[in-house]
Amino acid sequence: MRDSYAGRLQRRATTRRPLLHTSYRSDMALLNTRAKRYAVLALLLVGMSLPFLLPDAFLTELAGGSAYAIGAIGLMLLTGFAGQISLGHAFFAGVGFYTAAVISGDPDGRALGFGVTEILIWLPAAGLVAAAAGALVAPLATRLRGLYLAIVTLGLVFVGERVFAQWSAVTGGGSAGRPPPTVRLFGYRLDADGAFTKPQQLFWLMLVLLVVFAVVARNLARSNVGRAFTAIRDRDIAAGVIGVNLTKQKTVAFAISSFYAGCAGALFYTTVLNVNPNQFNLFLSVLFIVMVLIGGVGTISGAIAGAFLIALLPRFTDALAEWLPFISTRPQDVLNDSVTRFVLYGLLIIGFLLFEPRGLVGIWSRIRNWWTTFPFSY
Amino acid sequence: MTTTILTAAVTTTTLATRVAGWADRHPGRVAMRHKHLGIWQEVTWASYWDTAQTVAHGLLDLGIEPGDRVAIHSENRPEWLFTDVATVAVRAATVGLYPTNPPAEVSHLLSHSGAKLLVAEDQEQVDKALAVLDKCPDLAHIVYLEPRGIRSSRQAATGYPRLLGWPELLARGAAHRAAHPDALPARMAAATGEDVATLIYTSGTTGPPKGAMLSVANVEFAIATHRTGEGFADPAPGPYDLLLSYLPLCHVVERTFTTWFNAGSGSQVNFAESIATVPQNLAEVQPTILFSVPRIWEKLLAGVQIRLAHASWPKRLAAGFWLRRAGRIGDTLVRTGGRHTLASRLVYGIGWVCWFRALRVRLGLRRVRAAVSGAAPIAPEVLKFFMGIGVPMFEAYGMTENAAIATANRPGRIRLGTVGEPLGAAEVRIDPHSSEILTRHPGVFTGYFRDPAATANVLTADGWLRTGDIGEWVDGTHVRITDRAKDIIITAGGKNVAPSELENALKTSPYVKEVVVIGDRRPYLTALVGIELDTVGDWAQRRRIDFTTYRDLSTKPEVVELVASLVDDVNQRFAAAEQIKRFRLLPKELDHEDGELTGTQKVKRAAIAERFVDLIDDLYGKPAR
Repeated sequence: MRDSYAGRLQRRATTRRPLLHTSYRSDMALLNTRAKRYAVLALLLVGMSLPFLLPDAFLTELAGGSAYAIGAIGLMLLTGFAGQISLGHAFFAGVGFYTAAVISGDPDGRALGFGVTEILIWLPAAGLVAAAAGALVAPLATRLRGLYLAIVTLGLVFVGERVFAQWSAVTGGGSAGRPPPTVRLFGYRLDADGAFTKPQQLFWLMLVLLVVFAVVARNLARSNVGRAFTAIRDRDIAAGVIGVNLTKQKTVAFAISSFYAGCAGALFYTTVLNVNPNQFNLFLSVLFIVMVLIGGVGTISGAIAGAFLIALLPRFTDALAEWLPFISTRPQDVLNDSVTRFVLYGLLIIGFLLFEPRGLVGIWSRIRNWWTTFPFSY
Repeated sequence: MTTTILTAAVTTTTLATRVAGWADRHPGRVAMRHKHLGIWQEVTWASYWDTAQTVAHGLLDLGIEPGDRVAIHSENRPEWLFTDVATVAVRAATVGLYPTNPPAEVSHLLSHSGAKLLVAEDQEQVDKALAVLDKCPDLAHIVYLEPRGIRSSRQAATGYPRLLGWPELLARGAAHRAAHPDALPARMAAATGEDVATLIYTSGTTGPPKGAMLSVANVEFAIATHRTGEGFADPAPGPYDLLLSYLPLCHVVERTFTTWFNAGSGSQVNFAESIATVPQNLAEVQPTILFSVPRIWEKLLAGVQIRLAHASWPKRLAAGFWLRRAGRIGDTLVRTGGRHTLASRLVYGIGWVCWFRALRVRLGLRRVRAAVSGAAPIAPEVLKFFMGIGVPMFEAYGMTENAAIATANRPGRIRLGTVGEPLGAAEVRIDPHSSEILTRHPGVFTGYFRDPAATANVLTADGWLRTGDIGEWVDGTHVRITDRAKDIIITAGGKNVAPSELENALKTSPYVKEVVVIGDRRPYLTALVGIELDTVGDWAQRRRIDFTTYRDLSTKPEVVELVASLVDDVNQRFAAAEQIKRFRLLPKELDHEDGELTGTQKVKRAAIAERFVDLIDDLYGKPAR
């Protein structure tokens, strides 16, 4: 009796002292404070209840944002953690999309299709094929670094865009395009109105997948693979000297990053009706880079924050057009809302790189540090 | 009489039986933690006692007999406690050596104590012992804890066969334990209260260190006093108390807080990684009872001041506001003896939410319920600051020779500037002629090891211990210490001055690390001042004063001016004859290894007077020699 009481007091000794880590497990815990645990729980609850609170159009944008976020996490692993600058992300997204579209496509349709609509089959397949493509490209990265690698991956996008436009059996051709993959989960159709509307169902799907992909990436980042990535980013020669297998790790980085890109590509377009092959162009690659930069290089949460900011930017420019009369919504005007959006992308990149190089996450950590160091400044 | 009952009761138990008792009653509870590869590894009572038994068998196997001495030369770590408890279990006495002891002192301590076995932490300490091997004929074995640099080279190069690794000791112990399982219980059963449990060498501000013999009964009296809540922590320490162990364990006070609190009351010991990491370790462990020497409290205070000065302006604004409130709260608490008034409690409550809580979490003092300062006099301003921010501070007084049991301030009855009231069953008396403080209780030591003359000097026939400290009663209940008897300065003008008052007043400043007031048989008082490198360096950098080394910094005219202004401030609080007329800055940081400080960082006045004779001559206008 006495022992259990004192035992409780002793357990409290460690639970009430967040810095007193008595095991490696508690030292490495992702949600290491009570505040973090509650915040993440609240965020998930809010996320899961959003379909009841927001209009369908908004949900579609958020679902797209989640798919973007998965792609951005992939690029974050490659660029933010392993330091390999890649402009080829759109190409891998395309590979993933067409893999999924072909597997789940209508066998009687205009473009090639096998009619396997189960997402548990076509999503991993999309990821794996993209990962294989990534692994094929990876040897280039072991020979090149920095700007040269960026140029080579840029070439990849151009080649991809050409192939996608010409290979009409798969892609439906440059002008026509093809429908996105059909989404069935255990036989239940998600991309058509059922018990809930299509945007509601897709939003839930994307949110759950985003959480899964993000947790996997976060765990990867704190494992030996993640540490090898960071070592390569900080100085690849030094990493090689301390025993990191550069060829292997860079290949792993490209493969995993491409897996994420492939899944993101397959998922993103499920909300639309028809996809044109010129979607997978340089602009999409740059968009992913923007997400990573604005979100905050080197953090998974940064990739997610950046992706949602970019996904919701059109909504913001539309609102801006309502408030500022000189921004027109007609496409033929010089300063229309789509131009404003591009200008904003540019301004955001310049602004963040100049004033907040650590991105949205940097702003947050600055706020948090202000309070965690209170009443001192360090 | 309380005292006789205690003596009778404690003869049956020792540190070892106490640890065995905890292991028996609460085997799974945490006894101690130490940090290894970033993780606080926990040691339960069961494994504590199990390892201690194995070590004890190892000691038996190596031929340690009752009454032998086992020396430990290591930083604080679990092995220190394993060895200490094992040594007591085999009825031998533990001798602690300061990790900073230079080889000459190691030689003196090892040869004087006649230690048969030395547990040395690493190559550095093993080398010190190997260098003086020929002066220590009794030393039969050296056990090292960290094999790095020893295993391959040392053993081969020295050809010294009696060098053992810690695992070897454990292996010998395990084999002995399997062969003679009854050897240790038999040895323990024969223990008496008169057995010498530990030999604690006084730090020796004057002359070579003397080894004070504390018997098992002495230690048990100290433990009993603390267990009743009449010691340094009230309510008494318990299994839910966490302590940080970082001061040298060979000092009586750290032994009290680490070993005796642990074995006596079951409190959890957390070993700091090193003295340099104490601020971080404090923040991690958030101890509930914290003992420190004035030097550390001053450093904590200076750290707060520097970090607040560097904070961004909204934080500085908040700090300024709440520090003023803390000053007022401190004043109130000093007036009431540590009891809050309604107004001060209200202000502190609001401040707790807004500022004090965060500050205390950063400092690692959030959960401290008893903060004790001792081992040297502390400036009242430092105590008042910590009381103001809500840390219950108690100044205590004791010495090796009375097992650190003499006086302490008690909750609600604090008197600033005094060292408090007699503890528990301790009798304290002040000699009416010499004003010397005398104590008498069952914790008073049995004598100095191999030095009956010195023992006769401090122990009177009727059992009183002459502490050598000059004091007076305040209101008949609290003791105020004027100074060490030997340190009192009598100026050429015949004025008696207690240098520690002046020195502590000056050391309140974060810029001052050491002060040595000089003036015995001199026309006026002078001082040698050592600056604090961190704070003064920071101060200089912010004024764009370039400097390279400590010596360079202390010769900068701006720095001299800074110290001069501090000295002027302090002088205004003293009568003309007690003012510091001139001062010089010390050209180097005082160091134990250079023989200027003791192991407890106390200044050796004689050594300073000798080493800096040029500076002192200069102060009194004599031509430099």
